[in-house]
Amino acid sequence: MTQLASPRRGATYELQRGYRLMMVPAILAVGIFAIVPLIGMFGLAFSDYHLIRGTSWEFGFRNFAKMLSDKRLMNSIYVMASLSFFGVAAQVIIGSAIAVGLQKITGKWRVGRVLFLLPYAVPHVAVALIWLSLFTPTLSPINAFFDLFGITVPAFLTSQSGAIFAIVVADTWTNFPFAMLIIMAALQGISPDLEEAAAIDGATRIKTFIFITLPLLAPALLMVTLFRFIDSLKHFPMIFVMTKGGPGRSTQATNYYAYVQTFGNENVAYGAAIAVMLFLMAALIAYYVAKLNQRVTT
Amino acid sequence: MKHLFTTALVGTLALGASFSPTFAQAEEINVVMFGMPFTNGLKELAGDFEAETGIKANIDVIGQDVFENRITLSFTGATGDIDVVHTPVIQVQRWIQAGWLQPMTDLVSADTTSDILAGPLGAYNVSGDQWALPFFAGVGLMSYREDLLEAAGAEVPQTWEDMLEVSAKITNDDQAAIALRAVPGQGFNMFIFPMVMRAYGGTFFADYEGGDLTPAINSPENVEALNVYTKLINEYGPAGAGNFNFAEVNAAAKNGQIAFAVEGTGIISQIVDPAQSKFADVTGIALPPGGPAGRSPAIGVHGMGIPADAPNPEASAKFIEWAVSAETVSKIALAQSFPDFTTASVAENADVVAKYAAIHPDFLKTRVAALDLAIGHYRPLIPEWPALGQAIGESVNAAINGLMTAEEALEQAEADMRDILGL
Repeated sequence: MTQLASPRRGATYELQRGYRLMMVPAILAVGIFAIVPLIGMFGLAFSDYHLIRGTSWEFGFRNFAKMLSDKRLMNSIYVMASLSFFGVAAQVIIGSAIAVGLQKITGKWRVGRVLFLLPYAVPHVAVALIWLSLFTPTLSPINAFFDLFGITVPAFLTSQSGAIFAIVVADTWTNFPFAMLIIMAALQGISPDLEEAAAIDGATRIKTFIFITLPLLAPALLMVTLFRFIDSLKHFPMIFVMTKGGPGRSTQATNYYAYVQTFGNENVAYGAAIAVMLFLMAALIAYYVAKLNQRVTT
Repeated sequence: MKHLFTTALVGTLALGASFSPTFAQAEEINVVMFGMPFTNGLKELAGDFEAETGIKANIDVIGQDVFENRITLSFTGATGDIDVVHTPVIQVQRWIQAGWLQPMTDLVSADTTSDILAGPLGAYNVSGDQWALPFFAGVGLMSYREDLLEAAGAEVPQTWEDMLEVSAKITNDDQAAIALRAVPGQGFNMFIFPMVMRAYGGTFFADYEGGDLTPAINSPENVEALNVYTKLINEYGPAGAGNFNFAEVNAAAKNGQIAFAVEGTGIISQIVDPAQSKFADVTGIALPPGGPAGRSPAIGVHGMGIPADAPNPEASAKFIEWAVSAETVSKIALAQSFPDFTTASVAENADVVAKYAAIHPDFLKTRVAALDLAIGHYRPLIPEWPALGQAIGESVNAAINGLMTAEEALEQAEADMRDILGL
């Protein structure tokens, strides 16, 4: 026994060592490109690094204390929450509806699915430029069309709610395919037998969807909502291109505000502190997603 | 395992061998600029510089929006990867204070500097040193539609007060009168709004020239100016004008949607160019309106500087001297829409004069008149200006879009200024 077991353990050990070695480049890449900057960001957040005023490299909690009384930060959190809530809700609802619709399409028309994926492939800056022109009354073909019938389309980008709506629309347009993809995959995992059984029992299509399909989709829906929510904390390109944070400061989401503090006001330390806050929020949600994922898969 | 390491070692050596010839390559410099007619023209002439000097210039022209981030990261990281950098005059004090630029006083010849307009050149002379050489001086001008003025029986407005009256006459359901930059930003609405501020006697500080930098943005003069600015945009501008930047103003003028544009020379020269606008033949050029305190056209100067960490400042200076030479600038002025040159002798080039006279006979003349009126510190030349301009611009935009009154907006701006200045 011992004679047989020994070489087998040796082979396994060799193999595992090989695998570990193969992981080295990935660990190095993550270390260099993610962990090192993250440590730097935490260090800056506790410092007094200012590009113009000068830096004495005194470390402390002053940036975090300042955050508590910063009205612009509170405003930015409110903006971020609005953008995230409406954006994620729209993306999940529209993505799911289209996924359910596309699932019923069979044959050669299945190719049409690709069409719905296209917005996801467009770079965010290009998406923002497209929607900026669509929401600018003097440039927009939509306004020109309605003008023909004497109907005036309101200027969305000049009011607080309108500008938030415009950014949510642009964000939804480019990100609903992500929700759609996940839900489509989840739908494929649901056995058609269940729907057939419900039909035999006399359930209508709507009832089957609400009482059979939807509960089975719940884990995927929750997952996609949380993933999109984490991503939505990083709102930037749409705001930068479409409104520059305006009107006034009504679309200055927290991520954009951190940028303004860092590159506009030169207050790198304070910008880093805001970024740390965002990071912790995202990490908390990511932790929850991981736990949830574990529960769903086991 | 042994094989794995041998393969890795051989691979590394092979890669190293294939890269090693790059060390023996000819001298190279990296130039980072943001997109303007001059920089686009310069990029096309990079081959001329290499032919003349043997130095290869990699000219990277990027969007103005991303430029700031690109260079801030490079400068704070002291990477030394930029040899020549686009240096807007409003940034120069900040960059000097941050230690991001090196002086070029001894690197450029008197022959070069003596051919550059004294005003723009002097703007880069700080504490007795020359920190950049200018290539662009844009000033605020006004374009107006002669046909619409005639139909309304009105004269070209000389003051912002006149502008309100004339705009009221022109505006109807199908025709807006004026578009002005409204988007927040020190280079956006804060390039145009100070023209109105200064016309009404408003200032940013209690006494900038006397050295008293106590914020004075909430003065009654500034409130009055902001009310005028807001009224012009909201009552006499096209729909959505509260989110306009220069691109939208330019498009609105070229599409005939407005009668007046008050813009920098770069945009005005396009609006009056028959090749670019179908209304060019009925569009005139004038000085921007003034007010009780006179007329103060906007001024923006751009130049090229040498970053502090640039490894070969001599090569950088050689490039800058070539770029602002009469020969290079004339070529760009002829190839691009670029009447904003600061190299004096280019104005004597008959082809250049003929080209811009053909676009509009009054163009060069009005530009010189506006340059004469413009004050160098139109936007304060202090290191904190970019942050101040951003904050004030946000408040001005909030007032334009009705989120707060002019008084409230400028009170907020005053508080932000104190915060940024650490007062």
